[in-house]
Amino acid sequence: MLDHLAAIISDGILLGLIYAIAGLGLSLVLGIMGIVNVAHSAFIMLGSFFAFELFRRLGVDPIIAFFLALPVFFLLGTIVYRLLLIRVERVSQSQGLVAMFGLMVLIENLSTIAWTTDTRVITASYTNASLVFGSLYIAQVKLIAGVLALVLTFLFWAFLRFTLAGRAIRAMGQNRDAALSVGIDVRKLSAVMFGLGIACAGAAGVALGMIFPFSPNTQVQWLAWAFLVVILGGLGRVANTLIAGLVIGLLQTVCTAFLPFDYVYLVLYVLLAAILVLRREGLTLAVKRAI
Amino acid sequence: MVLSLFFLPSPSDTGTTRLRRLAVWLLVLVALAVYGAFGRQLFLLSTLGTVFLYVVLTQAWNILGGYGGYLNFGMVTFFGVGAYASAVLFQYFELSPFLTAPLAGLVSAVLGLLIGIPTLRIRGAYFALVTMIITFAVQTLVLDLPVTQGALGIYLQPLKLSPLNLERLFYFLFLGCAVIVTVLVYAIEHSNFGWALIAIREDEDAAEIVGVRTVEVKWIANGIAAFIAGVVGGLYAQRIMYIEPTGTFAFDISLNVVLMAVIGGAGTWQGPLIGAPLVLLVADALRVTVTSEVNRAIFSVVVILIALFIPGGVMGVWTRWRRGSKRKPAGAP
Amino acid sequence: MNTASSAPALKIADVVAGYTAGHPVLRGVNLTAQPGRITVILGPNGAGKSTLLRAIAGFLQPETGSIVLGDHQITNLPPHRHMEHGIALLPQGRSTFPELTVAENIELGGWTMRGDRARLRGAVEAMFARYPHLRELRERPAGSLSGGQQRAVEIARLVVCDPKVLLIDEPSVGLSPIVAAQVYRELEALKAEGRTILLVDQDVRAAIKIADYVYVLNSGKNDVEGDRSAFEGDLGVMVRRWLGV
Repeated sequence: MLDHLAAIISDGILLGLIYAIAGLGLSLVLGIMGIVNVAHSAFIMLGSFFAFELFRRLGVDPIIAFFLALPVFFLLGTIVYRLLLIRVERVSQSQGLVAMFGLMVLIENLSTIAWTTDTRVITASYTNASLVFGSLYIAQVKLIAGVLALVLTFLFWAFLRFTLAGRAIRAMGQNRDAALSVGIDVRKLSAVMFGLGIACAGAAGVALGMIFPFSPNTQVQWLAWAFLVVILGGLGRVANTLIAGLVIGLLQTVCTAFLPFDYVYLVLYVLLAAILVLRREGLTLAVKRAI
Repeated sequence: MVLSLFFLPSPSDTGTTRLRRLAVWLLVLVALAVYGAFGRQLFLLSTLGTVFLYVVLTQAWNILGGYGGYLNFGMVTFFGVGAYASAVLFQYFELSPFLTAPLAGLVSAVLGLLIGIPTLRIRGAYFALVTMIITFAVQTLVLDLPVTQGALGIYLQPLKLSPLNLERLFYFLFLGCAVIVTVLVYAIEHSNFGWALIAIREDEDAAEIVGVRTVEVKWIANGIAAFIAGVVGGLYAQRIMYIEPTGTFAFDISLNVVLMAVIGGAGTWQGPLIGAPLVLLVADALRVTVTSEVNRAIFSVVVILIALFIPGGVMGVWTRWRRGSKRKPAGAP
Repeated sequence: MNTASSAPALKIADVVAGYTAGHPVLRGVNLTAQPGRITVILGPNGAGKSTLLRAIAGFLQPETGSIVLGDHQITNLPPHRHMEHGIALLPQGRSTFPELTVAENIELGGWTMRGDRARLRGAVEAMFARYPHLRELRERPAGSLSGGQQRAVEIARLVVCDPKVLLIDEPSVGLSPIVAAQVYRELEALKAEGRTILLVDQDVRAAIKIADYVYVLNSGKNDVEGDRSAFEGDLGVMVRRWLGV
């Protein structure tokens, strides 16, 4: 019984770490820039395929792909920001929302053209191995993915907390005009912040791809999960997002153990609806429009 | 916002000019009816049938989405629930969906009202995302509840009609629904209810202060939309004769509805009439030359461009051209 | 420290600007802020005083007219470039970064100096030396401080980069009289260091007391102007005129 519980908890934590980074980019971009990046999950999916292609064409291990994804997706994010998001910030909320959904569909369709709707997996050398701690079995790949997620979370937290640029980004989200007045180029830093958000999505996609099968037309489910993490954890805070991810991960493993599998999603969605109703004041305040 | 005042029929709009514009649509309707009665091309009848179905769904969406500004990205929830309601009633009571469609609409409406209680308190992007998530939740529920047969799906009674007459039947059914719903939306647009919705879209807080009963208005609009979607969902179940959770609750349907509204012009009664055929027929035409994925990719680019640069869609361009001014029409989301 | 001659003059000529096209708030404003002087802008609500400061600071693009600093055209300069030219804006209301500490707030004031970290650190410490009562609040989040303390943080953040031209927008709003008086004293100290100060204010009495020159704006246009002495008379008459009584 205790072993069973230990397995549930360890699985839940590792899964929770993955959920946390799936939601981190979305949370930061939303909290600091007020942009609801609906296409976030599409970038996660691209991250999975990034690792997939590197693995099958060049034999690059997903662990390395994880770190390679960061600069690649950062660049992608800044380009998307300059091409599209700048305009999205200028139009009404509804228009921006439709445009972002358009972006999500565009990425999904381009990916389908490139990779078809076949479900893919990444089978590395350690994918089916388990580590044993006493009588506790932990899938090696989950442990690796979890550790990578933790590392990424820590990197983000440290960047925002300890570097001047990170503080400038946070300042920009707290008072845009004051940030401009002290000489912060908000447009450029916004591109950086968005780039970081997408970098996080891409890396999260690599980690997810190590564990779960993926395909272009199932990516939207990750939007739901990421959104759950964001709502539970609050916007723009790394620590809270991490905790929220862990809670959801644990909830999922606990529910899976005691309820028929699919009801988990229902429980979580009901939880989401309940939270949204209870926390709506905090949410409406947090959605700012950049002028 | 002052902009909404420009949406009233201007004083210069005499009764005759309005009639003349309506006459154009009536002519189209007559032409469609004539084709439906005498047309022999199965493909065209079938495609137009789907167009009319989407017109209904998009008009339903339009009430809360276009006029009210609450973008529902989960219309397929109500549609799917309606389809399943009819299918389940057929499965257990052998009742034809033609009879049970209104009941299916009621089931969807009840669900819509229930869903509306928590979700309509949320605005903007959050509302959109929650409605999307609810689709997934309902889909999961349908997969699990024994009554809905899960992934096996439900088969409905094939009708004793030739394929051509089958399509003709649903052609007229959906055309009829489209006409009814369009008249409803037209009526809403010119009513106090419509005014309330527009006020909510333009500035909900101000509307509340002025005395608009925002909670009730949104709730009712959502319920109406759910009812309509549920009814056509029930009819749709009979049309395709087999439903299962993945296809019936496809997120694509929700997305298509929003796309069509945006392209045609959300917040106008003509918008869905333009958007639905435009999206579907052009997509079909393109399918001859390019794959369906490429044409969806092209469409998503078009949607992005329209959302960013042409907020009122086709109707927006039309209204601006007519007025000869550079102001944004109030129908824009 | 600056000498009076190194601080440039700020010249605003025929500026027309507004928030919506076709409805200008400023309808042809002219003024000059002389180097090393405090120039005050007064006027009734809606006159365009804050709009003028925002236009100078780059948050608003003038439709016509010019804004010249010394011999540099800064009419269409984006807001974040102003610090480079030595112009700093103290915005209306609360403008601290509430969730960053006092030290982090002041440090960000030196954002344009970030290339030389040692110099930036030195400048920040100089601010704590200049405003010693902020020392004990160093690690407190700025949002948790009182109104007066936040205003002090904002001023420290303003001055850390040693700007030559200060644009001050209604500095005493929401402050107790004692704290407000401290703010005005600090403005005079900053002027004594040779900076050019353009001050927009609602507190007519306090502003005139420290003014070298006064402009009055009304409905987006220049009204009267003159030396401080011209305004030290019956303020009541002037205010009543603004109110149209």
